[in-house]
Amino acid sequence: MKREKRIKIYVAILLTIMPGFLSGCWDSHELNTLSIVSGLGWDIDQDTGEVTLTYQSIIPSEIESSSSSNEGGGQKGGNPLRAIQLDQDTGASPYEVLSRYAQHASRIPFYEHTQVYIFGKDGVQRGIYPFLDTQARNPVSRPNALMVVSAEKTASDILGVQDGMENIQAFGMAAEIKLSATFSKFPAVTVLQFQNRLLSKTTAPIAPMVGIFEQTGREGKKTQKIRVVGTAVFKGDRMIGELNERESSGLLWAINEIKIGFVTIPEANLEIVKAKSKIVPELQGDQVKITIEIDQESNLVQYNGHQGITADLVQELEKGQAKEIESQVRAAVEKSFDLEADVFGFGDAVHRKYKKEWKELKPRWDDIYPCIEVVIKAKTHINEIGEINQALIKD
Amino acid sequence: MFLEKGRISNFQLSVLIIGFVLGSSVIISPGGEGAGHDAWIACALGLMEGLLIAWIFTALTKLFKDKTLIEINSLVYGKILGNGISLLFIGYLFHLSALVLTNYGQFFKLQIYPATPKTLSLLLLMLVCASTVNRGIEVLARCSLILVPIIILVVFTDTLLLIPHIDLNNLMPVLDAPIGKLLLASHGAASFPFAETVAFLMVLAFVDKPEKGPAAVSRGLLIAGFILIMAVARNVAVLGQMAEITNYPTYLVAQVIDIGDILTRLHVLVAISLITMGFIKISVLFYGTVLGLAQVFNLRSYRPIILPVGILMVILALTNVGNTQEMFDFVNKGYPIYAIPFQIGIPLITLVVAKLRRLPQKGELDA
Repeated sequence: MKREKRIKIYVAILLTIMPGFLSGCWDSHELNTLSIVSGLGWDIDQDTGEVTLTYQSIIPSEIESSSSSNEGGGQKGGNPLRAIQLDQDTGASPYEVLSRYAQHASRIPFYEHTQVYIFGKDGVQRGIYPFLDTQARNPVSRPNALMVVSAEKTASDILGVQDGMENIQAFGMAAEIKLSATFSKFPAVTVLQFQNRLLSKTTAPIAPMVGIFEQTGREGKKTQKIRVVGTAVFKGDRMIGELNERESSGLLWAINEIKIGFVTIPEANLEIVKAKSKIVPELQGDQVKITIEIDQESNLVQYNGHQGITADLVQELEKGQAKEIESQVRAAVEKSFDLEADVFGFGDAVHRKYKKEWKELKPRWDDIYPCIEVVIKAKTHINEIGEINQALIKD
Repeated sequence: MFLEKGRISNFQLSVLIIGFVLGSSVIISPGGEGAGHDAWIACALGLMEGLLIAWIFTALTKLFKDKTLIEINSLVYGKILGNGISLLFIGYLFHLSALVLTNYGQFFKLQIYPATPKTLSLLLLMLVCASTVNRGIEVLARCSLILVPIIILVVFTDTLLLIPHIDLNNLMPVLDAPIGKLLLASHGAASFPFAETVAFLMVLAFVDKPEKGPAAVSRGLLIAGFILIMAVARNVAVLGQMAEITNYPTYLVAQVIDIGDILTRLHVLVAISLITMGFIKISVLFYGTVLGLAQVFNLRSYRPIILPVGILMVILALTNVGNTQEMFDFVNKGYPIYAIPFQIGIPLITLVVAKLRRLPQKGELDA
């Protein structure tokens, strides 16, 4: 009896003390004191080197109201960008800007949900090392955020363009970039992947480029949209060039990043079902030979000819398809030789196979790279030809 | 002299050892310094060395059943010299528990609670450990039975969820690190955390089947070693070279988890495993410290000195390093050498001297 009473008293004391500690007084962050940053733009003035950061933050109250106004007849006429707030600050270094913004934002900036980091084209040509360091050193940012280069002059141009179905523009942009990677057009590059390419010293970092695209809608009304338009190629922290759509696709074929998508040849359209590729290096004395082996399976989804599908024709289509893939990869290889940037990670592939020789090759890799002999071998197979086996209009 | 009446089973001992070895290694990857992407090999070699060291100190407890290192020392070297050596060893246990507290404090200050004073978070953890130590080894062993399986589950879940992000190319080429560096790193992995189980010289006396104690120790070491090797290999396979330059790779790796945009931001689980496993490690070391002090000074109970020792521990943990880099410098460069006398020296020399003096003589054990 006495013991039970004592336990009760202990529990009562414990329960009164615990709330004080559990709420975490010092590090509590209430949602209504936070400004959640969804996208962060980064620009550098070419002449002065001053840093301009563009913050795209979420206005939580507007997200709620837009969903309720949908029930009451849509949001025509309303500002499509009202769920986000754009703000800008300029200073000598990224941290100076961050602290300046924190002072006048009225809420504490919260970077844990930042989806995209956008770099203005001028800024990336000058080098983004201060940003990369800030990002990696601070525990609040995530390794999964996407790296994006703006094809327009500045990052803020992109952050203010509404596109897609998302209320929050940066989330929509992130989804768009991820879809372009799923459809095997342009790479989606996370901060972690970018850092690893940077750390490898020979492999050149890459990032998708996003540009503004003007659409003329009904009544000649012009609307701005954003589109992924290319792949930026870096040397160290500086952007040195870009790959166009075809070259970007070739790059993805070579680095085994093809998921789904289409191959278009003059006679037909083929949907990729499965694709796999391997980079096989070979050292012959001082000469490096790289074989890119690609294995692809696809379905026929559209055929332009007017004849029935025969086994011979399928073989012919397979050959045409392989030729198209090879030419895409070849275009990417030629471009990377022009830029002298190892976007494929050939150096790392050599390192993996020839660790002893690599020590000696590594310092000279920049000179060796453009002289590499690259052989591309694509093997393709057509699985299905669809529901008809004859043409609708026959010859 | 019966300072501890509790007895733990051999199974509990194994689980306790798993928890102890995971300890702060759940965030600080062993063997990371110098071995690069071969860290898992360094970790495996370190496990071998750790098993060898465990064989030495378990041989000692096999010789002297039901005796802690303090009692063994006074039997082998005589009262004065024996107590002197014992105090050195107790000092090591005390320092080590402060170091684990430091790991915990630095990690939380950097990653989780930047604004909360370190003193408070350390004090709270120390109080929990103190209360466990106050209740004796049996309670601690039972705690580990609940906590360790949960954390093992967390580590395995993390690994499973990371499978889509694993790139085995990151582990290639195998054995890229120069052999000298690899061996240094593996010795580092042995000294932290595997050979730290030398602290169990204070616990092995309370195992109910002492003849099977060595087997239980090596079983625990093997399981914990396997988990750590897997975690280290996973970190490198997912993070690539970032695993080498980031301070807490396991924490960063958990941030990468992203299953369909739903299952994300699981990294706080890593912080939880640090709290729980750190709790077990600190408690064992804390227990060894206070029990040892009580035995050296012939106290009737070790309980009155728990809080004073605990507070000193927190103070040492707050002051021994100035910043995270100092901590890692010590862990990677100083500690592997500093720990040799305690992890290998004292047990080995004591064993040799005991054999030479043909100890224990009959009847001595019952005294």
